[in-house]
Amino acid sequence: MNPEELEQLKELIEFLKENQIGEFALERGDLKVSVKFGGEQTAQPGMDVASLARLLAMQSPAGAVAPPVHVPVPSVAPQMHASAEVSSSAEASEEADLHIVKSPIVGTFYESPSPGASAFVKIGDRVENGQVLCIVEAMKLMNEIESDAAGEVVKRLVQNGQPVEYGQPLFALKKV
Amino acid sequence: MTLGSIFESAAIDAALRNTPFAGQMHFFPSIHSTNTHAMAAGEHGAPHGSVFFADEQTAGRGRSSHQWQSPAGCGIYASILLRPTIAPGDALWFSLAAGLAAQDAIAQVTTLKTDLRWPNDLMLGKRKFGGILTEMNAEATRIRYLVIGIGINVLHPAFSPDLAPIATSLLIETGLPWSRQEILIALLQSLHRETSALSDPATSDAGQSSILDRVEAMSTWVRGRRVRVDEGEGFTGVTEGLDARGFLRVRTAQGLRTVFSGGVRDF
Repeated sequence: MNPEELEQLKELIEFLKENQIGEFALERGDLKVSVKFGGEQTAQPGMDVASLARLLAMQSPAGAVAPPVHVPVPSVAPQMHASAEVSSSAEASEEADLHIVKSPIVGTFYESPSPGASAFVKIGDRVENGQVLCIVEAMKLMNEIESDAAGEVVKRLVQNGQPVEYGQPLFALKKV
Repeated sequence: MTLGSIFESAAIDAALRNTPFAGQMHFFPSIHSTNTHAMAAGEHGAPHGSVFFADEQTAGRGRSSHQWQSPAGCGIYASILLRPTIAPGDALWFSLAAGLAAQDAIAQVTTLKTDLRWPNDLMLGKRKFGGILTEMNAEATRIRYLVIGIGINVLHPAFSPDLAPIATSLLIETGLPWSRQEILIALLQSLHRETSALSDPATSDAGQSSILDRVEAMSTWVRGRRVRVDEGEGFTGVTEGLDARGFLRVRTAQGLRTVFSGGVRDF
Protein backbone atom coordinates (compact mmCIF):
# COMPACT_ATOMS: atom_id res chain seq x y z
CA MET A 1 0.00 0.00 0.00
CA ASN A 2 1.58 3.25 -1.12
CA PRO A 3 1.11 6.64 0.57
CA GLU A 4 -1.53 7.72 -1.93
CA GLU A 5 -3.61 4.65 -1.22
CA LEU A 6 -3.18 5.17 2.48
CA GLU A 7 -4.53 8.70 2.01
CA GLN A 8 -7.49 7.30 0.08
CA LEU A 9 -8.12 4.81 2.83
CA LYS A 10 -8.13 7.58 5.42
CA GLU A 11 -10.56 9.52 3.27
CA LEU A 12 -12.78 6.48 2.98
CA ILE A 13 -12.80 5.96 6.72
CA GLU A 14 -13.64 9.63 7.27
CA PHE A 15 -16.50 9.29 4.82
CA LEU A 16 -17.83 6.17 6.53
CA LYS A 17 -17.59 7.93 9.87
CA GLU A 18 -19.37 11.03 8.66
CA ASN A 19 -22.20 8.97 7.28
CA GLN A 20 -22.27 6.74 10.32
CA ILE A 21 -21.83 3.58 8.33
CA GLY A 22 -21.38 0.73 10.77
CA GLU A 23 -19.62 -1.76 8.59
CA PHE A 24 -17.99 -1.72 5.18
CA ALA A 25 -16.18 -4.24 3.01
CA LEU A 26 -14.50 -3.78 -0.35
CA GLU A 27 -12.71 -6.23 -2.58
CA ARG A 28 -11.05 -4.69 -5.57
CA GLY A 29 -8.46 -6.60 -7.55
CA ASP A 30 -5.85 -7.70 -5.07
CA LEU A 31 -6.92 -5.19 -2.46
CA LYS A 32 -9.27 -6.15 0.32
CA VAL A 33 -10.57 -3.65 2.85
CA SER A 34 -12.94 -4.27 5.70
CA VAL A 35 -13.90 -1.63 8.22
CA LYS A 36 -16.14 -2.12 11.21
CA PHE A 37 -17.03 0.59 13.67
CA GLY A 38 -18.17 -0.08 17.21
CA GLY A 39 -21.21 1.65 18.67
CA GLU A 40 -24.67 1.81 17.18
CA GLN A 41 -24.25 3.73 13.97
CA THR A 42 -26.72 3.03 11.24
CA ALA A 43 -26.46 3.83 7.57
CA GLN A 44 -28.23 6.96 6.45
CA PRO A 45 -30.26 6.43 3.31
CA GLY A 46 -29.57 9.98 2.13
CA MET A 47 -25.80 9.71 1.96
CA ASP A 48 -24.14 11.05 -1.12
CA VAL A 49 -23.68 8.01 -3.35
CA ALA A 50 -21.53 9.96 -5.76
CA SER A 51 -18.96 10.55 -3.04
CA LEU A 52 -19.06 6.91 -2.07
CA ALA A 53 -18.63 5.87 -5.67
CA ARG A 54 -15.61 8.15 -6.01
CA LEU A 55 -14.05 6.62 -2.94
CA LEU A 56 -14.76 3.15 -4.22
CA ALA A 57 -12.81 3.99 -7.34
CA MET A 58 -9.61 3.59 -5.43
CA GLN A 59 -7.65 0.50 -6.21
CA SER A 60 -4.31 -1.09 -5.77
CA PRO A 61 -2.14 -1.36 -8.87
CA ALA A 62 -2.66 -4.72 -10.53
CA GLY A 63 -0.08 -7.24 -9.57
CA ALA A 64 1.22 -5.46 -6.50
CA VAL A 65 2.69 -8.00 -4.14
CA ALA A 66 2.65 -6.90 -0.56
CA PRO A 67 2.36 -8.67 2.75
CA PRO A 68 -0.81 -8.09 4.76
CA VAL A 69 -0.57 -4.76 6.54
CA HIS A 70 -2.38 -3.39 9.52
CA VAL A 71 -3.18 0.26 9.07
CA PRO A 72 -3.58 2.45 12.09
CA VAL A 73 -6.63 4.67 11.91
CA PRO A 74 -5.39 8.07 12.96
CA SER A 75 -8.50 10.19 12.66
CA VAL A 76 -11.30 8.17 14.17
CA ALA A 77 -12.80 9.45 17.38
CA PRO A 78 -11.99 7.18 20.31
CA GLN A 79 -15.60 6.55 21.20
CA MET A 80 -16.15 4.98 17.78
CA HIS A 81 -13.76 2.09 18.57
CA ALA A 82 -12.90 1.89 14.92
CA SER A 83 -10.53 -0.56 13.42
CA ALA A 84 -9.53 -1.16 9.86
CA GLU A 85 -7.66 -3.98 8.32
CA VAL A 86 -6.19 -3.92 4.87
CA SER A 87 -4.66 -6.97 3.34
CA SER A 88 -3.38 -7.91 -0.03
CA SER A 89 -4.78 -11.06 -1.49
CA ALA A 90 -2.89 -14.20 -0.74
CA GLU A 91 -3.18 -15.03 -4.40
CA ALA A 92 -1.34 -11.92 -5.46
CA SER A 93 1.06 -13.75 -7.72
CA GLU A 94 -1.82 -15.46 -9.49
CA GLU A 95 -3.74 -12.20 -9.81
CA ALA A 96 -0.82 -10.50 -11.49
CA ASP A 97 -2.34 -11.82 -14.71
CA LEU A 98 -5.67 -10.10 -14.08
CA HIS A 99 -6.82 -7.42 -16.46
CA ILE A 100 -9.10 -4.72 -15.08
CA VAL A 101 -11.80 -3.21 -17.30
CA LYS A 102 -12.60 0.34 -16.19
CA SER A 103 -15.48 2.70 -16.85
CA PRO A 104 -14.75 5.45 -19.37
CA ILE A 105 -17.63 7.58 -18.09
CA VAL A 106 -19.56 8.48 -14.95
CA GLY A 107 -22.94 6.84 -14.66
CA THR A 108 -25.04 3.92 -13.48
CA PHE A 109 -23.79 0.38 -14.05
CA TYR A 110 -26.14 -2.10 -15.73
CA GLU A 111 -25.23 -5.74 -16.20
CA SER A 112 -27.90 -6.38 -18.87
CA PRO A 113 -29.25 -4.55 -21.94
CA SER A 114 -32.61 -3.96 -20.25
CA PRO A 115 -34.19 -4.67 -16.85
CA GLY A 116 -35.05 -8.35 -16.56
CA ALA A 117 -32.86 -9.40 -19.47
CA SER A 118 -29.99 -11.75 -18.82
CA ALA A 119 -26.59 -10.27 -18.07
CA PHE A 120 -24.15 -9.59 -20.88
CA VAL A 121 -21.58 -11.76 -19.10
CA LYS A 122 -21.33 -13.82 -15.94
CA ILE A 123 -18.42 -15.00 -13.82
CA GLY A 124 -16.57 -17.76 -15.60
CA ASP A 125 -17.49 -16.59 -19.12
CA ARG A 126 -14.74 -16.41 -21.71
CA VAL A 127 -14.93 -13.03 -23.46
CA GLU A 128 -13.27 -11.70 -26.58
CA ASN A 129 -11.62 -8.35 -27.09
CA GLY A 130 -14.45 -6.01 -28.15
CA GLN A 131 -17.25 -8.01 -26.56
CA VAL A 132 -19.85 -5.93 -24.68
CA LEU A 133 -19.59 -6.54 -20.91
CA CYS A 134 -22.11 -4.07 -19.51
CA ILE A 135 -23.74 -0.68 -19.95
CA VAL A 136 -22.95 2.48 -18.01
CA GLU A 137 -25.73 5.05 -18.32
CA ALA A 138 -25.83 8.74 -17.53
CA MET A 139 -28.22 11.40 -18.83
CA LYS A 140 -29.99 8.81 -20.98
CA LEU A 141 -26.74 8.06 -22.73
CA MET A 142 -26.19 4.32 -22.78
CA ASN A 143 -22.52 3.46 -23.04
CA GLU A 144 -21.74 -0.08 -24.08
CA ILE A 145 -18.55 -1.04 -22.29
CA GLU A 146 -16.52 -3.45 -24.33
CA SER A 147 -13.79 -5.67 -23.08
CA ASP A 148 -10.37 -4.36 -24.05
CA ALA A 149 -8.80 -7.78 -23.63
CA ALA A 150 -9.64 -11.44 -24.17
CA GLY A 151 -9.99 -13.55 -21.07
CA GLU A 152 -12.15 -15.19 -18.46
CA VAL A 153 -14.38 -13.02 -16.31
CA VAL A 154 -13.28 -13.77 -12.75
CA LYS A 155 -14.81 -10.84 -10.86
CA ARG A 156 -17.52 -8.23 -11.26
CA LEU A 157 -16.48 -5.33 -9.09
CA VAL A 158 -19.74 -3.36 -8.97
CA GLN A 159 -23.39 -4.13 -8.35
CA ASN A 160 -26.18 -3.81 -10.90
CA GLY A 161 -27.67 -0.31 -10.64
CA GLN A 162 -24.71 1.08 -8.71
CA PRO A 163 -23.27 4.51 -9.59
CA VAL A 164 -19.73 4.37 -10.96
CA GLU A 165 -17.13 7.06 -11.46
CA TYR A 166 -14.76 7.73 -14.32
CA GLY A 167 -11.97 5.16 -14.29
CA GLN A 168 -13.66 2.90 -11.74
CA PRO A 169 -12.82 -0.81 -12.18
CA LEU A 170 -15.80 -2.81 -13.39
CA PHE A 171 -14.55 -6.30 -14.17
CA ALA A 172 -11.44 -8.38 -13.59
CA LEU A 173 -10.46 -10.70 -16.40
CA LYS A 174 -7.96 -13.51 -16.25
CA LYS A 175 -6.05 -13.33 -19.46
CA VAL A 176 -5.90 -16.52 -21.46
CA MET B 1 -36.86 10.62 -55.46
CA THR B 2 -39.67 10.77 -52.97
CA LEU B 3 -39.25 9.02 -49.66
CA GLY B 4 -42.60 7.59 -48.69
CA SER B 5 -45.32 10.10 -49.38
CA ILE B 6 -44.02 12.78 -47.05
CA PHE B 7 -40.26 13.02 -47.01
CA GLU B 8 -38.54 14.37 -50.13
CA SER B 9 -34.96 13.25 -50.34
CA ALA B 10 -33.67 15.97 -52.70
CA ALA B 11 -35.24 18.80 -50.69
CA ILE B 12 -33.84 17.43 -47.42
CA ASP B 13 -30.34 17.04 -48.86
CA ALA B 14 -30.46 20.56 -50.30
CA ALA B 15 -31.55 22.06 -46.98
CA LEU B 16 -28.78 20.19 -45.17
CA ARG B 17 -26.01 20.91 -47.67
CA ASN B 18 -23.80 22.62 -45.09
CA THR B 19 -24.02 19.72 -42.66
CA PRO B 20 -22.47 16.23 -42.61
CA PHE B 21 -25.98 14.80 -43.01
CA ALA B 22 -26.46 15.82 -46.69
CA GLY B 23 -26.37 12.75 -48.90
CA GLN B 24 -26.38 10.47 -45.87
CA MET B 25 -30.10 10.34 -45.09
CA HIS B 26 -31.37 6.75 -45.00
CA PHE B 27 -35.16 6.44 -44.97
CA PHE B 28 -37.18 3.37 -43.97
CA PRO B 29 -40.96 3.13 -44.50
CA SER B 30 -40.96 0.74 -41.55
CA ILE B 31 -38.19 -0.49 -39.29
CA HIS B 32 -37.90 -2.18 -35.88
CA SER B 33 -35.88 0.62 -34.27
CA THR B 34 -33.79 3.29 -35.95
CA ASN B 35 -31.38 3.26 -32.98
CA THR B 36 -30.83 -0.50 -33.14
CA HIS B 37 -30.22 -0.20 -36.87
CA ALA B 38 -27.87 2.75 -36.45
CA MET B 39 -25.79 1.01 -33.77
CA ALA B 40 -25.40 -2.01 -36.06
CA ALA B 41 -24.48 0.29 -38.95
CA GLY B 42 -21.89 1.95 -36.70
CA GLU B 43 -20.36 -1.44 -35.99
CA HIS B 44 -20.15 -2.01 -39.74
CA GLY B 45 -18.39 1.28 -40.41
CA ALA B 46 -21.20 3.69 -41.33
CA PRO B 47 -19.64 7.16 -41.67
CA HIS B 48 -20.00 10.20 -39.40
CA GLY B 49 -23.22 12.04 -40.21
CA SER B 50 -25.29 9.02 -41.25
CA VAL B 51 -28.96 9.52 -40.38
CA PHE B 52 -31.47 6.67 -40.21
CA PHE B 53 -35.10 7.76 -40.08
CA ALA B 54 -38.40 6.01 -40.49
CA ASP B 55 -42.08 6.60 -41.10
CA GLU B 56 -42.86 3.83 -38.63
CA GLN B 57 -40.99 1.92 -35.92
CA THR B 58 -42.31 -1.45 -34.83
CA ALA B 59 -40.02 -1.67 -31.80
CA GLY B 60 -39.20 1.95 -30.95
CA ARG B 61 -37.63 2.18 -27.53
CA GLY B 62 -36.58 4.52 -24.79
CA ARG B 63 -34.59 4.25 -21.60
CA SER B 64 -35.01 1.16 -19.38
CA SER B 65 -36.66 -0.81 -22.18
CA HIS B 66 -39.60 1.61 -22.29
CA GLN B 67 -41.37 1.42 -25.63
CA TRP B 68 -41.80 4.44 -27.86
CA GLN B 69 -45.08 4.24 -29.78
CA SER B 70 -44.12 4.98 -33.36
CA PRO B 71 -47.11 4.58 -35.68
CA ALA B 72 -46.79 5.33 -39.40
CA GLY B 73 -47.39 8.86 -40.65
CA CYS B 74 -47.25 10.47 -37.19
CA GLY B 75 -43.79 11.14 -35.93
CA ILE B 76 -40.15 11.86 -36.46
CA TYR B 77 -38.13 8.79 -35.62
CA ALA B 78 -34.52 9.56 -36.42
CA SER B 79 -31.15 8.23 -35.29
CA ILE B 80 -28.06 10.27 -36.00
CA LEU B 81 -24.68 8.55 -36.07
CA LEU B 82 -21.65 10.65 -35.14
CA ARG B 83 -17.97 9.85 -34.71
CA PRO B 84 -16.82 12.85 -32.67
CA THR B 85 -13.16 13.10 -31.70
CA ILE B 86 -13.83 13.92 -28.05
CA ALA B 87 -13.28 11.99 -24.82
CA PRO B 88 -16.05 9.47 -24.06
CA GLY B 89 -16.86 11.31 -20.82
CA ASP B 90 -17.63 14.47 -22.79
CA ALA B 91 -20.30 12.67 -24.82
CA LEU B 92 -22.76 13.44 -22.03
CA TRP B 93 -22.86 17.01 -23.35
CA PHE B 94 -24.38 15.64 -26.56
CA SER B 95 -27.28 14.31 -24.56
CA LEU B 96 -28.13 17.77 -23.20
CA ALA B 97 -27.33 19.43 -26.55
CA ALA B 98 -29.75 17.13 -28.37
CA GLY B 99 -32.59 18.25 -26.12
CA LEU B 100 -31.80 21.90 -26.76
CA ALA B 101 -31.53 21.26 -30.51
CA ALA B 102 -34.92 19.57 -30.61
CA GLN B 103 -36.51 22.32 -28.54
CA ASP B 104 -35.01 24.94 -30.85
CA ALA B 105 -36.26 23.14 -33.97
CA ILE B 106 -39.82 22.98 -32.62
CA ALA B 107 -39.68 26.68 -31.76
CA GLN B 108 -38.40 27.61 -35.24
CA VAL B 109 -41.10 25.70 -37.09
CA THR B 110 -44.10 26.07 -34.77
CA THR B 111 -43.17 29.03 -32.48
CA LEU B 112 -44.26 26.81 -29.57
CA LYS B 113 -42.38 27.37 -26.34
CA THR B 114 -41.70 23.90 -25.01
CA ASP B 115 -40.18 22.69 -21.77
CA LEU B 116 -37.19 20.42 -21.15
CA ARG B 117 -37.33 17.83 -18.40
CA TRP B 118 -33.78 16.93 -17.40
CA PRO B 119 -31.87 15.60 -19.13
CA ASN B 120 -33.68 15.93 -22.44
CA ASP B 121 -37.39 15.07 -22.45
CA LEU B 122 -39.47 17.42 -24.59
CA MET B 123 -42.54 18.55 -22.69
CA LEU B 124 -45.65 20.55 -23.30
CA GLY B 125 -47.07 21.23 -19.84
CA LYS B 126 -47.08 17.98 -17.92
CA ARG B 127 -47.09 15.80 -21.01
CA LYS B 128 -44.17 14.50 -23.02
CA PHE B 129 -44.10 14.79 -26.80
CA GLY B 130 -40.49 13.97 -27.55
CA GLY B 131 -37.74 11.77 -26.18
CA ILE B 132 -34.07 11.20 -26.81
CA LEU B 133 -31.99 8.09 -26.22
CA THR B 134 -28.28 8.25 -26.95
CA GLU B 135 -26.17 5.14 -27.32
CA MET B 136 -22.42 5.02 -27.51
CA ASN B 137 -19.73 2.54 -28.35
CA ALA B 138 -16.41 3.72 -26.98
CA GLU B 139 -12.98 2.57 -26.01
CA ALA B 140 -11.46 3.90 -22.78
CA THR B 141 -10.24 7.12 -24.39
CA ARG B 142 -11.96 7.26 -27.76
CA ILE B 143 -15.53 7.26 -29.04
CA ARG B 144 -15.94 4.81 -31.87
CA TYR B 145 -19.47 5.94 -32.64
CA LEU B 146 -22.38 7.60 -30.95
CA VAL B 147 -26.03 7.39 -31.95
CA ILE B 148 -28.53 10.06 -30.92
CA GLY B 149 -32.05 8.70 -31.28
CA ILE B 150 -34.83 11.28 -31.33
CA GLY B 151 -38.55 10.60 -31.34
CA ILE B 152 -41.01 13.48 -31.71
CA ASN B 153 -44.78 13.09 -31.68
CA VAL B 154 -45.94 15.39 -34.45
CA LEU B 155 -49.22 14.15 -35.94
CA HIS B 156 -50.42 11.57 -33.42
CA PRO B 157 -54.19 12.25 -33.26
CA ALA B 158 -54.62 10.59 -29.85
CA PHE B 159 -52.98 8.23 -27.37
CA SER B 160 -54.24 5.12 -25.63
CA PRO B 161 -55.91 5.72 -22.22
CA ASP B 162 -52.81 4.62 -20.33
CA LEU B 163 -50.56 7.05 -22.21
CA ALA B 164 -53.00 9.96 -22.69
CA PRO B 165 -52.28 11.53 -19.27
CA ILE B 166 -48.54 11.62 -19.92
CA ALA B 167 -48.14 11.84 -23.71
CA THR B 168 -49.08 14.41 -26.31
CA SER B 169 -48.28 15.50 -29.85
CA LEU B 170 -47.90 18.80 -31.66
CA LEU B 171 -51.19 18.10 -33.46
CA ILE B 172 -53.05 17.49 -30.21
CA GLU B 173 -51.64 20.67 -28.68
CA THR B 174 -52.15 23.02 -31.64
CA GLY B 175 -54.70 21.35 -33.92
CA LEU B 176 -52.34 21.95 -36.83
CA PRO B 177 -50.78 19.37 -39.20
CA TRP B 178 -47.13 20.39 -38.94
CA SER B 179 -44.69 19.25 -41.62
CA ARG B 180 -42.48 16.47 -40.29
CA GLN B 181 -39.95 17.25 -43.00
CA GLU B 182 -39.60 20.88 -41.92
CA ILE B 183 -39.13 19.85 -38.30
CA LEU B 184 -36.61 17.14 -39.25
CA ILE B 185 -34.56 19.63 -41.28
CA ALA B 186 -34.60 22.22 -38.50
CA LEU B 187 -33.69 19.54 -35.99
CA LEU B 188 -30.66 18.35 -37.96
CA GLN B 189 -29.47 21.91 -38.60
CA SER B 190 -29.72 22.72 -34.89
CA LEU B 191 -28.05 19.48 -33.92
CA HIS B 192 -25.20 20.19 -36.32
CA ARG B 193 -24.65 23.61 -34.72
CA GLU B 194 -24.65 22.16 -31.21
CA THR B 195 -22.44 19.15 -31.89
CA SER B 196 -19.95 21.16 -33.99
CA ALA B 197 -19.41 23.59 -31.11
CA LEU B 198 -18.83 20.71 -28.69
CA SER B 199 -16.54 18.76 -31.03
CA ASP B 200 -14.12 21.60 -31.83
CA PRO B 201 -11.47 21.96 -29.10
CA ALA B 202 -11.39 25.72 -29.77
CA THR B 203 -15.07 26.13 -28.86
CA SER B 204 -15.92 23.13 -26.66
CA ASP B 205 -15.46 24.91 -23.30
CA ALA B 206 -17.70 27.77 -24.40
CA GLY B 207 -20.12 25.23 -25.86
CA GLN B 208 -20.41 23.37 -22.57
CA SER B 209 -20.90 26.52 -20.57
CA SER B 210 -23.50 27.76 -23.04
CA ILE B 211 -25.39 24.46 -22.69
CA LEU B 212 -25.52 24.77 -18.89
CA ASP B 213 -26.86 28.32 -19.18
CA ARG B 214 -29.44 27.48 -21.80
CA VAL B 215 -30.74 24.34 -20.08
CA GLU B 216 -31.19 26.43 -16.91
CA ALA B 217 -33.02 29.09 -18.94
CA MET B 218 -35.17 26.75 -21.04
CA SER B 219 -36.27 24.24 -18.41
CA THR B 220 -38.72 24.69 -15.56
CA TRP B 221 -37.40 21.45 -14.04
CA VAL B 222 -33.86 22.47 -13.18
CA ARG B 223 -34.55 24.71 -10.17
CA GLY B 224 -37.09 24.79 -7.40
CA ARG B 225 -39.15 21.87 -8.60
CA ARG B 226 -40.33 19.16 -6.23
CA VAL B 227 -39.40 15.86 -7.87
CA ARG B 228 -39.13 12.15 -7.38
CA VAL B 229 -36.05 10.46 -8.84
CA ASP B 230 -36.16 6.76 -9.66
CA GLU B 231 -32.42 6.27 -9.26
CA GLY B 232 -31.34 3.41 -7.01
CA GLU B 233 -34.00 3.02 -4.31
CA GLY B 234 -35.62 6.28 -5.45
CA PHE B 235 -35.76 9.57 -3.54
CA THR B 236 -37.56 12.90 -3.46
CA GLY B 237 -36.44 16.48 -3.12
CA VAL B 238 -36.31 19.90 -4.74
CA THR B 239 -34.15 20.55 -7.80
CA GLU B 240 -31.24 22.91 -7.24
CA GLY B 241 -29.65 23.54 -10.63
CA LEU B 242 -27.00 21.70 -12.60
CA ASP B 243 -23.47 20.96 -11.49
CA ALA B 244 -20.47 21.82 -13.68
CA ARG B 245 -20.83 18.52 -15.56
CA GLY B 246 -24.51 19.04 -16.30
CA PHE B 247 -25.83 16.61 -13.70
CA LEU B 248 -29.00 17.59 -11.87
CA ARG B 249 -28.71 18.45 -8.18
CA VAL B 250 -31.60 17.66 -5.87
CA ARG B 251 -31.87 18.89 -2.28
CA THR B 252 -33.25 16.07 -0.15
CA ALA B 253 -33.97 15.83 3.57
CA GLN B 254 -30.60 14.10 3.91
CA GLY B 255 -28.61 16.61 1.86
CA LEU B 256 -27.74 17.49 -1.71
CA ARG B 257 -27.75 14.57 -4.16
CA THR B 258 -26.51 14.37 -7.70
CA VAL B 259 -28.70 12.65 -10.27
CA PHE B 260 -26.71 10.69 -12.84
CA SER B 261 -29.35 8.90 -14.79
CA GLY B 262 -32.62 8.49 -13.00
CA GLY B 263 -35.94 9.51 -14.48
CA VAL B 264 -37.17 12.74 -12.87
CA ARG B 265 -40.90 13.17 -12.27
CA ASP B 266 -43.18 15.62 -10.48
CA PHE B 267 -43.83 14.73 -6.86
